[in-house]
Amino acid sequence: MRKILTVLAALASLSLTNCGYNAIQSQDEQIKANWSEVVNQYQRRADLVPNLVNSVKGFAQQEKDVLLGVTNARAKVGSIQASPEVLNDPAALQKFQAAQGELSSALSRLLVVTENYPQLKSDALFKDLMSQLEGTENRITVARNRYIKSVQDYNVTIRSFPSNLTAMMFGYKEKANFTVENEKEISTAPKVDFNAPAPSK
Amino acid sequence: MRAVKAILLVLLLGWAFAASADVAVPQLTGRVVDRTGTLSSSDVAALSQKLGDFEKRKGSQIAVLIVPTTDPETIEQFSIRVAEAWKIGRKKVDDGAILVVAKNDRHLRIEVGYGLEGALTDVTSRRIIDEVITPKFREGDFAGGISAGAERMMRVVDGEPLPAPSRSVNFANLDDIGPLLPVALFASLIVGGFLRTLLGRLLGSVATGSVIGLLALLILGSGALALLAGIIGFVLSFIADLFPASTGTSRGGSWSSGSSSGGWSSGSSSSDSGSFSGGGGSFGGGGASGSW
Repeated sequence: MRKILTVLAALASLSLTNCGYNAIQSQDEQIKANWSEVVNQYQRRADLVPNLVNSVKGFAQQEKDVLLGVTNARAKVGSIQASPEVLNDPAALQKFQAAQGELSSALSRLLVVTENYPQLKSDALFKDLMSQLEGTENRITVARNRYIKSVQDYNVTIRSFPSNLTAMMFGYKEKANFTVENEKEISTAPKVDFNAPAPSK
Repeated sequence: MRAVKAILLVLLLGWAFAASADVAVPQLTGRVVDRTGTLSSSDVAALSQKLGDFEKRKGSQIAVLIVPTTDPETIEQFSIRVAEAWKIGRKKVDDGAILVVAKNDRHLRIEVGYGLEGALTDVTSRRIIDEVITPKFREGDFAGGISAGAERMMRVVDGEPLPAPSRSVNFANLDDIGPLLPVALFASLIVGGFLRTLLGRLLGSVATGSVIGLLALLILGSGALALLAGIIGFVLSFIADLFPASTGTSRGGSWSSGSSSGGWSSGSSSSDSGSFSGGGGSFGGGGASGSW
Protein backbone atom coordinates (compact mmCIF):
# COMPACT_ATOMS: atom_id res chain seq x y z
CA MET A 1 0.00 0.00 0.00
CA ARG A 2 2.73 2.31 1.04
CA LYS A 3 4.68 1.57 -2.12
CA ILE A 4 1.70 2.30 -4.32
CA LEU A 5 1.23 5.61 -2.55
CA THR A 6 4.86 6.60 -3.09
CA VAL A 7 4.62 5.75 -6.75
CA LEU A 8 1.40 7.73 -7.05
CA ALA A 9 2.99 10.71 -5.33
CA ALA A 10 5.94 10.54 -7.69
CA LEU A 11 3.65 10.43 -10.69
CA ALA A 12 1.59 13.32 -9.38
CA SER A 13 4.65 15.50 -8.91
CA LEU A 14 5.89 14.51 -12.35
CA SER A 15 2.62 15.47 -13.98
CA LEU A 16 2.72 18.80 -12.16
CA THR A 17 6.03 19.59 -13.83
CA ASN A 18 4.76 18.34 -17.17
CA CYS A 19 1.63 20.46 -17.31
CA GLY A 20 3.84 23.54 -17.41
CA TYR A 21 2.42 25.31 -14.38
CA ASN A 22 5.81 25.61 -12.70
CA ALA A 23 7.47 26.64 -15.95
CA ILE A 24 4.92 29.40 -16.44
CA GLN A 25 5.45 30.62 -12.89
CA SER A 26 9.23 30.77 -13.13
CA GLN A 27 9.23 32.33 -16.59
CA ASP A 28 6.65 34.89 -15.54
CA GLU A 29 8.85 35.81 -12.61
CA GLN A 30 11.89 35.94 -14.89
CA ILE A 31 10.10 38.41 -17.16
CA LYS A 32 9.29 40.63 -14.20
CA ALA A 33 12.91 40.58 -13.07
CA ASN A 34 14.18 41.38 -16.54
CA TRP A 35 11.63 44.14 -16.93
CA SER A 36 12.76 45.68 -13.66
CA GLU A 37 16.28 45.69 -15.02
CA VAL A 38 15.11 47.47 -18.18
CA VAL A 39 13.31 50.11 -16.14
CA ASN A 40 16.25 50.38 -13.78
CA GLN A 41 18.65 51.15 -16.62
CA TYR A 42 16.26 53.63 -18.23
CA GLN A 43 16.02 55.31 -14.84
CA ARG A 44 19.79 55.46 -14.67
CA ARG A 45 19.81 57.24 -18.02
CA ALA A 46 17.09 59.64 -16.91
CA ASP A 47 19.14 60.45 -13.80
CA LEU A 48 22.13 61.34 -15.93
CA VAL A 49 20.19 63.79 -18.08
CA PRO A 50 20.07 66.79 -15.68
CA ASN A 51 23.84 66.67 -15.13
CA LEU A 52 24.44 66.35 -18.80
CA VAL A 53 22.18 69.27 -19.64
CA ASN A 54 23.92 71.38 -17.01
CA SER A 55 27.39 70.64 -18.27
CA VAL A 56 26.37 71.40 -21.86
CA LYS A 57 24.62 74.59 -20.75
CA GLY A 58 27.89 75.96 -19.41
CA PHE A 59 29.49 75.85 -22.84
CA ALA A 60 26.62 76.06 -25.31
CA GLN A 61 24.15 78.51 -23.87
CA GLN A 62 22.75 79.39 -27.29
CA GLU A 63 21.46 75.86 -28.02
CA LYS A 64 18.33 76.53 -26.05
CA ASP A 65 15.93 74.58 -28.27
CA VAL A 66 17.91 71.39 -28.10
CA LEU A 67 18.44 71.63 -24.35
CA LEU A 68 14.77 72.36 -23.83
CA GLY A 69 13.87 69.35 -26.00
CA VAL A 70 15.96 67.05 -23.82
CA THR A 71 14.54 68.49 -20.60
CA ASN A 72 10.97 68.08 -21.83
CA ALA A 73 11.55 64.52 -23.01
CA ARG A 74 13.13 63.75 -19.64
CA ALA A 75 10.12 65.14 -17.81
CA LYS A 76 7.78 63.05 -19.92
CA VAL A 77 9.72 59.88 -19.22
CA GLY A 78 9.50 60.59 -15.52
CA SER A 79 5.73 60.92 -15.61
CA ILE A 80 5.07 57.50 -17.12
CA GLN A 81 4.39 54.50 -14.90
CA ALA A 82 6.60 51.52 -15.60
CA SER A 83 5.29 48.98 -13.08
CA PRO A 84 5.21 45.32 -14.13
CA GLU A 85 1.47 45.68 -14.79
CA VAL A 86 2.48 47.57 -17.91
CA LEU A 87 3.54 44.23 -19.35
CA ASN A 88 -0.01 42.97 -19.59
CA ASP A 89 -1.14 46.08 -21.40
CA PRO A 90 0.36 46.50 -24.89
CA ALA A 91 -0.92 50.09 -25.15
CA ALA A 92 0.83 51.13 -21.93
CA LEU A 93 4.03 49.43 -23.02
CA GLN A 94 3.75 51.28 -26.31
CA LYS A 95 3.47 54.56 -24.44
CA PHE A 96 6.46 53.77 -22.26
CA GLN A 97 8.57 52.94 -25.29
CA ALA A 98 7.44 56.01 -27.18
CA ALA A 99 8.53 58.26 -24.30
CA GLN A 100 11.91 56.54 -23.97
CA GLY A 101 12.38 56.72 -27.72
CA GLU A 102 11.68 60.44 -27.62
CA LEU A 103 14.35 60.91 -24.96
CA SER A 104 16.75 58.86 -27.07
CA SER A 105 16.30 61.04 -30.12
CA ALA A 106 16.44 64.26 -28.07
CA LEU A 107 19.74 63.09 -26.59
CA SER A 108 21.10 62.23 -30.00
CA ARG A 109 20.23 65.74 -31.23
CA LEU A 110 22.06 67.15 -28.22
CA LEU A 111 25.13 65.09 -28.98
CA VAL A 112 25.14 66.22 -32.58
CA VAL A 113 25.09 69.83 -31.36
CA THR A 114 27.97 69.27 -28.92
CA GLU A 115 30.16 68.36 -31.87
CA ASN A 116 30.39 72.09 -32.56
CA TYR A 117 31.97 72.90 -29.20
CA PRO A 118 35.55 71.62 -28.99
CA GLN A 119 35.98 73.13 -25.54
CA LEU A 120 32.98 71.23 -24.25
CA LYS A 121 34.21 68.03 -25.82
CA SER A 122 37.53 68.24 -24.01
CA ASP A 123 35.90 69.11 -20.68
CA ALA A 124 36.73 66.37 -18.15
CA LEU A 125 33.32 66.37 -16.50
CA PHE A 126 31.55 66.19 -19.83
CA LYS A 127 33.80 63.34 -20.93
CA ASP A 128 32.97 61.39 -17.79
CA LEU A 129 29.26 62.00 -18.26
CA MET A 130 29.57 60.80 -21.82
CA SER A 131 31.18 57.52 -20.85
CA GLN A 132 28.48 57.02 -18.23
CA LEU A 133 25.80 57.68 -20.81
CA GLU A 134 27.51 55.36 -23.25
CA GLY A 135 27.72 52.60 -20.66
CA THR A 136 24.11 53.12 -19.69
CA GLU A 137 22.92 52.90 -23.28
CA ASN A 138 24.78 49.63 -23.57
CA ARG A 139 23.22 48.33 -20.37
CA ILE A 140 19.79 49.29 -21.71
CA THR A 141 20.48 47.29 -24.86
CA VAL A 142 21.56 44.27 -22.85
CA ALA A 143 18.59 44.53 -20.49
CA ARG A 144 16.18 44.87 -23.40
CA ASN A 145 17.69 41.85 -25.13
CA ARG A 146 17.30 39.76 -22.02
CA TYR A 147 13.74 40.94 -21.57
CA ILE A 148 12.93 40.07 -25.18
CA LYS A 149 14.37 36.60 -24.76
CA SER A 150 12.48 35.91 -21.54
CA VAL A 151 9.19 37.05 -23.09
CA GLN A 152 9.90 34.78 -26.02
CA ASP A 153 10.43 31.78 -23.71
CA TYR A 154 7.27 32.57 -21.82
CA ASN A 155 5.15 33.03 -24.94
CA VAL A 156 6.41 29.77 -26.39
CA THR A 157 5.50 27.96 -23.18
CA ILE A 158 2.05 29.52 -23.14
CA ARG A 159 1.33 28.57 -26.71
CA SER A 160 2.74 25.05 -26.88
CA PHE A 161 0.89 21.91 -25.85
CA PRO A 162 0.14 20.91 -23.13
CA SER A 163 1.11 23.97 -21.14
CA ASN A 164 -1.29 26.08 -23.23
CA LEU A 165 -4.15 24.27 -21.46
CA THR A 166 -2.71 25.18 -18.08
CA ALA A 167 -2.24 28.76 -19.21
CA MET A 168 -5.85 28.88 -20.41
CA MET A 169 -7.10 27.43 -17.15
CA PHE A 170 -5.27 30.01 -15.03
CA GLY A 171 -5.73 32.88 -17.46
CA TYR A 172 -2.12 33.53 -18.40
CA LYS A 173 -1.93 35.60 -21.57
CA GLU A 174 0.86 36.30 -23.98
CA LYS A 175 3.09 39.20 -22.96
CA ALA A 176 3.77 42.13 -25.22
CA ASN A 177 7.29 42.40 -26.54
CA PHE A 178 9.21 45.31 -27.97
CA THR A 179 7.71 45.88 -31.38
CA VAL A 180 9.20 46.44 -34.81
CA GLU A 181 8.36 50.11 -34.67
CA ASN A 182 10.57 50.41 -31.65
CA GLU A 183 13.33 48.41 -33.21
CA LYS A 184 13.57 51.38 -35.54
CA GLU A 185 13.94 53.66 -32.59
CA ILE A 186 16.89 51.61 -31.42
CA SER A 187 18.66 52.22 -34.68
CA THR A 188 18.33 55.96 -34.17
CA ALA A 189 19.56 55.75 -30.58
CA PRO A 190 21.98 58.46 -29.57
CA LYS A 191 25.47 58.25 -30.95
CA VAL A 192 27.29 58.78 -27.72
CA ASP A 193 30.72 58.12 -29.17
CA PHE A 194 32.62 61.04 -30.42
CA ASN A 195 36.10 61.56 -29.21
CA ALA A 196 36.87 58.35 -31.08
CA PRO A 197 35.54 56.92 -34.34
CA ALA A 198 32.38 55.04 -33.39
CA PRO A 199 33.32 52.69 -30.56
CA SER A 200 29.65 51.93 -29.96
CA LYS A 201 28.27 52.19 -33.47
CA MET B 1 13.30 11.14 -53.63
CA ARG B 2 15.61 13.54 -55.35
CA ALA B 3 13.36 16.42 -54.35
CA VAL B 4 13.56 15.33 -50.74
CA LYS B 5 17.34 15.24 -50.95
CA ALA B 6 17.42 18.68 -52.47
CA ILE B 7 15.23 20.06 -49.72
CA LEU B 8 17.43 18.45 -47.09
CA LEU B 9 20.50 19.95 -48.69
CA VAL B 10 18.94 23.39 -48.72
CA LEU B 11 18.00 23.06 -45.08
CA LEU B 12 21.51 22.00 -44.14
CA LEU B 13 22.98 24.88 -46.10
CA GLY B 14 20.70 27.15 -44.18
CA TRP B 15 22.33 25.84 -41.03
CA ALA B 16 25.76 26.56 -42.38
CA PHE B 17 24.82 30.15 -43.11
CA ALA B 18 23.11 30.63 -39.80
CA ALA B 19 26.24 29.38 -38.08
CA SER B 20 28.57 31.69 -39.97
CA ALA B 21 26.55 34.85 -39.30
CA ASP B 22 28.36 35.98 -36.13
CA VAL B 23 31.86 35.41 -34.89
CA ALA B 24 31.71 32.37 -32.63
CA VAL B 25 32.66 32.86 -29.01
CA PRO B 26 36.20 31.48 -28.64
CA GLN B 27 36.75 28.65 -26.26
CA LEU B 28 38.02 29.61 -22.84
CA THR B 29 41.40 27.93 -22.97
CA GLY B 30 43.07 30.06 -20.32
CA ARG B 31 43.02 33.44 -18.67
CA VAL B 32 44.53 34.93 -21.80
CA VAL B 33 43.00 33.83 -25.11
CA ASP B 34 44.83 35.20 -28.15
CA ARG B 35 43.27 34.27 -31.48
CA THR B 36 45.56 36.54 -33.49
CA GLY B 37 49.00 35.37 -32.45
CA THR B 38 49.85 38.89 -31.29
CA LEU B 39 51.30 37.93 -27.94
CA SER B 40 54.31 35.69 -27.61
CA SER B 41 53.85 32.56 -25.54
CA SER B 42 56.05 34.03 -22.79
CA ASP B 43 53.82 37.15 -22.67
CA VAL B 44 50.75 34.94 -22.37
CA ALA B 45 52.36 32.84 -19.67
CA ALA B 46 53.52 35.87 -17.66
CA LEU B 47 50.14 37.59 -17.87
CA SER B 48 48.24 34.40 -17.05
CA GLN B 49 50.51 33.93 -14.05
CA LYS B 50 49.78 37.45 -12.82
CA LEU B 51 46.03 37.08 -13.31
CA GLY B 52 46.12 33.68 -11.63
CA ASP B 53 47.97 35.04 -8.61
CA PHE B 54 45.49 37.87 -8.42
CA GLU B 55 42.58 35.44 -8.34
CA LYS B 56 44.24 33.43 -5.59
CA ARG B 57 44.81 36.56 -3.56
CA LYS B 58 41.61 38.49 -4.22
CA GLY B 59 39.18 35.92 -5.61
CA SER B 60 38.24 38.01 -8.58
CA GLN B 61 38.72 36.66 -12.09
CA ILE B 62 40.03 38.77 -14.96
CA ALA B 63 40.38 37.41 -18.49
CA VAL B 64 41.84 38.78 -21.71
CA LEU B 65 40.60 37.99 -25.21
CA ILE B 66 42.13 39.12 -28.50
CA VAL B 67 40.24 38.41 -31.72
CA PRO B 68 40.92 39.64 -35.26
CA THR B 69 37.44 41.11 -35.75
CA THR B 70 33.93 41.11 -34.29
CA ASP B 71 32.27 41.91 -37.61
CA PRO B 72 29.28 42.09 -38.28
CA GLU B 73 28.56 42.76 -34.60
CA THR B 74 29.80 45.72 -32.65
CA ILE B 75 32.37 45.00 -29.98
CA GLU B 76 29.71 45.58 -27.28
CA GLN B 77 27.41 42.91 -28.71
CA PHE B 78 30.27 40.48 -29.13
CA SER B 79 31.77 41.00 -25.70
CA ILE B 80 28.48 40.54 -23.85
CA ARG B 81 28.07 37.24 -25.68
CA VAL B 82 31.57 36.25 -24.61
CA ALA B 83 30.81 37.29 -21.05
CA GLU B 84 27.59 35.26 -21.00
CA ALA B 85 29.38 32.20 -22.36
CA TRP B 86 32.52 32.37 -20.23
CA LYS B 87 30.86 33.37 -16.94
CA ILE B 88 34.06 34.91 -15.60
CA GLY B 89 33.90 35.82 -11.91
CA ARG B 90 32.50 34.04 -8.90
CA LYS B 91 28.88 33.05 -8.88
CA LYS B 92 26.67 35.50 -6.92
CA VAL B 93 29.68 37.79 -6.31
CA ASP B 94 29.91 38.46 -10.07
CA ASP B 95 33.41 39.87 -9.73
CA GLY B 96 34.67 39.19 -13.21
CA ALA B 97 36.03 41.45 -15.90
CA ILE B 98 37.10 40.78 -19.48
CA LEU B 99 39.40 42.87 -21.63
CA VAL B 100 38.34 42.30 -25.25
CA VAL B 101 40.50 43.53 -28.11
CA ALA B 102 39.40 43.38 -31.77
CA LYS B 103 42.75 43.95 -33.39
CA ASN B 104 41.84 44.56 -37.04
CA ASP B 105 38.78 46.64 -36.08
CA ARG B 106 41.02 48.71 -33.79
CA HIS B 107 38.39 48.53 -31.06
CA LEU B 108 38.71 47.38 -27.50
CA ARG B 109 36.38 47.05 -24.56
CA ILE B 110 36.49 46.37 -20.85
CA GLU B 111 33.43 44.30 -19.95
CA VAL B 112 32.66 44.52 -16.25
CA GLY B 113 30.63 42.09 -14.15
CA TYR B 114 27.83 43.29 -11.86
CA GLY B 115 29.93 42.94 -8.72
CA LEU B 116 32.75 45.13 -10.01
CA GLU B 117 30.63 47.92 -11.45
CA GLY B 118 31.23 49.94 -8.29
CA ALA B 119 35.02 49.81 -8.67
CA LEU B 120 35.56 49.51 -12.41
CA THR B 121 32.93 52.10 -13.25
CA ASP B 122 32.29 53.19 -16.82
CA VAL B 123 34.44 56.26 -16.21
CA THR B 124 37.34 54.31 -14.71
CA SER B 125 37.19 51.75 -17.48
CA ARG B 126 37.28 54.44 -20.13
CA ARG B 127 40.22 56.11 -18.42
CA ILE B 128 42.14 52.84 -18.33
CA ILE B 129 41.43 52.43 -22.03
CA ASP B 130 42.24 56.01 -23.02
CA GLU B 131 45.17 56.70 -20.74
CA VAL B 132 46.86 53.34 -20.24
CA ILE B 133 46.10 50.99 -23.09
CA THR B 134 45.51 52.91 -26.32
CA PRO B 135 48.69 55.06 -26.17
CA LYS B 136 50.71 51.84 -26.20
CA PHE B 137 48.51 50.31 -28.89
CA ARG B 138 49.12 53.30 -31.12
CA GLU B 139 52.84 52.61 -30.92
CA GLY B 140 52.17 49.00 -31.85
CA ASP B 141 53.06 47.70 -28.39
CA PHE B 142 50.15 45.31 -27.88
CA ALA B 143 51.75 43.13 -25.24
CA GLY B 144 52.73 46.18 -23.18
CA GLY B 145 49.30 47.82 -23.53
CA ILE B 146 47.41 44.71 -22.54
CA SER B 147 49.57 43.88 -19.56
CA ALA B 148 49.58 47.49 -18.36
CA GLY B 149 45.78 47.61 -18.76
CA ALA B 150 45.28 44.34 -16.91
CA GLU B 151 47.65 45.55 -14.21
CA ARG B 152 45.64 48.73 -13.75
CA MET B 153 42.37 46.78 -13.67
CA MET B 154 43.78 44.58 -10.92
CA ARG B 155 44.85 47.61 -8.92
CA VAL B 156 41.41 49.17 -9.21
CA VAL B 157 39.69 45.94 -8.20
CA ASP B 158 42.12 45.60 -5.29
CA GLY B 159 40.58 48.70 -3.73
CA GLU B 160 37.17 47.06 -3.68
CA PRO B 161 36.18 45.03 -0.63
CA LEU B 162 35.18 41.60 -1.91
CA PRO B 163 34.51 38.31 -0.16
CA ALA B 164 37.73 36.42 0.49
CA PRO B 165 38.66 33.75 -2.04
CA SER B 166 37.56 30.30 -0.94
CA ARG B 167 40.02 27.45 -0.82
CA SER B 168 37.85 25.05 -2.75
CA VAL B 169 37.15 25.24 -6.45
CA ASN B 170 33.81 26.58 -7.56
CA PHE B 171 30.70 24.47 -7.15
CA ALA B 172 28.69 25.78 -10.05
CA ASN B 173 27.99 22.22 -11.13
CA LEU B 174 26.60 21.29 -7.77
CA ASP B 175 24.16 24.18 -7.79
CA ASP B 176 22.89 23.21 -11.20
CA ILE B 177 22.20 19.61 -10.34
CA GLY B 178 20.92 20.28 -6.84
CA PRO B 179 17.23 20.22 -7.78
CA LEU B 180 17.72 16.95 -9.68
CA LEU B 181 19.05 15.07 -6.70
CA PRO B 182 15.77 14.10 -5.01
CA VAL B 183 14.32 13.01 -8.32
CA ALA B 184 17.42 10.96 -9.11
CA LEU B 185 17.37 9.22 -5.74
CA PHE B 186 13.68 8.51 -6.02
CA ALA B 187 14.09 7.13 -9.51
CA SER B 188 16.98 4.93 -8.51
CA LEU B 189 14.90 3.57 -5.66
CA ILE B 190 12.00 2.63 -7.89
CA VAL B 191 13.97 1.50 -10.93
CA GLY B 192 16.42 -0.38 -8.75
CA GLY B 193 13.68 -2.24 -6.92
CA PHE B 194 12.01 -3.11 -10.17
CA LEU B 195 15.14 -4.35 -11.93
CA ARG B 196 16.26 -6.29 -8.89
CA THR B 197 13.11 -8.32 -8.70
CA LEU B 198 13.31 -8.87 -12.44
CA LEU B 199 16.99 -9.76 -12.85
CA GLY B 200 18.16 -10.76 -9.41
CA ARG B 201 20.23 -8.79 -7.01
CA LEU B 202 23.65 -8.54 -8.66
CA LEU B 203 22.49 -8.25 -12.25
CA GLY B 204 19.67 -5.89 -11.32
CA SER B 205 22.00 -3.63 -9.38
CA VAL B 206 24.46 -3.52 -12.24
CA ALA B 207 21.63 -2.65 -14.63
CA THR B 208 20.40 0.11 -12.30
CA GLY B 209 23.90 1.51 -11.96
CA SER B 210 24.40 1.65 -15.70
CA VAL B 211 20.99 3.21 -16.32
CA ILE B 212 21.71 5.93 -13.77
CA GLY B 213 25.22 6.45 -15.11
CA LEU B 214 23.87 6.84 -18.62
CA LEU B 215 21.25 9.33 -17.48
CA ALA B 216 23.88 11.29 -15.56
CA LEU B 217 26.06 11.35 -18.67
CA LEU B 218 23.19 12.71 -20.73
CA ILE B 219 22.19 15.35 -18.22
CA LEU B 220 25.56 16.47 -16.92
CA GLY B 221 27.77 15.73 -19.90
CA SER B 222 30.67 14.75 -17.64
CA GLY B 223 32.15 11.26 -17.76
CA ALA B 224 33.64 11.31 -14.27
CA LEU B 225 30.40 12.45 -12.66
CA ALA B 226 28.41 9.90 -14.63
CA LEU B 227 30.70 7.08 -13.51
CA LEU B 228 30.37 8.22 -9.93
CA ALA B 229 26.60 8.40 -10.19
CA GLY B 230 26.52 4.95 -11.74
CA ILE B 231 28.60 3.47 -8.94
CA ILE B 232 26.43 5.13 -6.32
CA GLY B 233 23.35 3.79 -8.06
CA PHE B 234 24.82 0.31 -8.11
CA VAL B 235 25.78 0.34 -4.45
CA LEU B 236 22.43 1.79 -3.42
CA SER B 237 20.38 -0.78 -5.22
CA PHE B 238 22.71 -3.57 -4.17
CA ILE B 239 22.34 -2.88 -0.47
CA ALA B 240 18.77 -1.57 -0.66
CA ASP B 241 17.04 -4.74 0.53
CA LEU B 242 19.51 -5.30 3.35
CA PHE B 243 17.43 -2.82 5.29
CA PRO B 244 14.23 -4.30 6.59
CA ALA B 245 11.33 -2.87 4.65
CA SER B 246 9.28 -2.27 7.83
CA THR B 247 11.61 0.45 9.19
CA GLY B 248 10.74 2.98 6.58
CA THR B 249 12.18 5.95 8.43
CA SER B 250 15.67 4.61 8.96
CA ARG B 251 15.76 3.75 5.30
CA GLY B 252 14.92 7.26 4.24
CA GLY B 253 17.63 8.62 6.49
CA SER B 254 20.29 6.41 5.10
CA TRP B 255 19.53 7.40 1.52
CA SER B 256 19.91 11.08 1.87
CA SER B 257 22.79 11.31 4.26
CA GLY B 258 24.88 8.46 2.93
CA SER B 259 24.98 9.14 -0.74
CA SER B 260 23.98 12.53 -1.98
CA SER B 261 26.10 15.19 -0.35
CA GLY B 262 29.45 13.42 -0.24
CA GLY B 263 29.29 11.88 -3.67
CA TRP B 264 28.32 14.87 -5.77
CA SER B 265 30.59 17.44 -4.21
CA SER B 266 33.74 15.37 -4.51
CA GLY B 267 32.84 14.57 -8.09
CA SER B 268 32.39 18.14 -9.18
CA SER B 269 35.50 19.44 -7.45
CA SER B 270 37.73 16.79 -8.97
CA SER B 271 36.45 17.49 -12.46
CA ASP B 272 37.16 21.20 -12.09
CA SER B 273 40.74 21.12 -10.93
CA GLY B 274 43.51 22.05 -13.32
CA SER B 275 42.38 24.18 -16.23
CA PHE B 276 40.83 27.62 -15.93
CA SER B 277 37.07 28.06 -16.09
CA GLY B 278 34.61 30.80 -15.30
CA GLY B 279 33.06 30.67 -11.85
CA GLY B 280 29.52 31.61 -12.92
CA GLY B 281 29.67 35.39 -12.71
CA SER B 282 27.10 37.43 -14.60
CA PHE B 283 27.40 40.62 -16.61
CA GLY B 284 24.94 43.37 -17.43
CA GLY B 285 26.77 45.35 -20.11
CA GLY B 286 28.80 47.59 -17.80
CA GLY B 287 32.20 48.91 -18.78
CA ALA B 288 33.53 51.06 -21.57
CA SER B 289 34.75 50.83 -25.12
CA GLY B 290 37.43 52.64 -26.99
CA SER B 291 39.50 52.56 -30.11
CA TRP B 292 42.97 53.49 -31.25
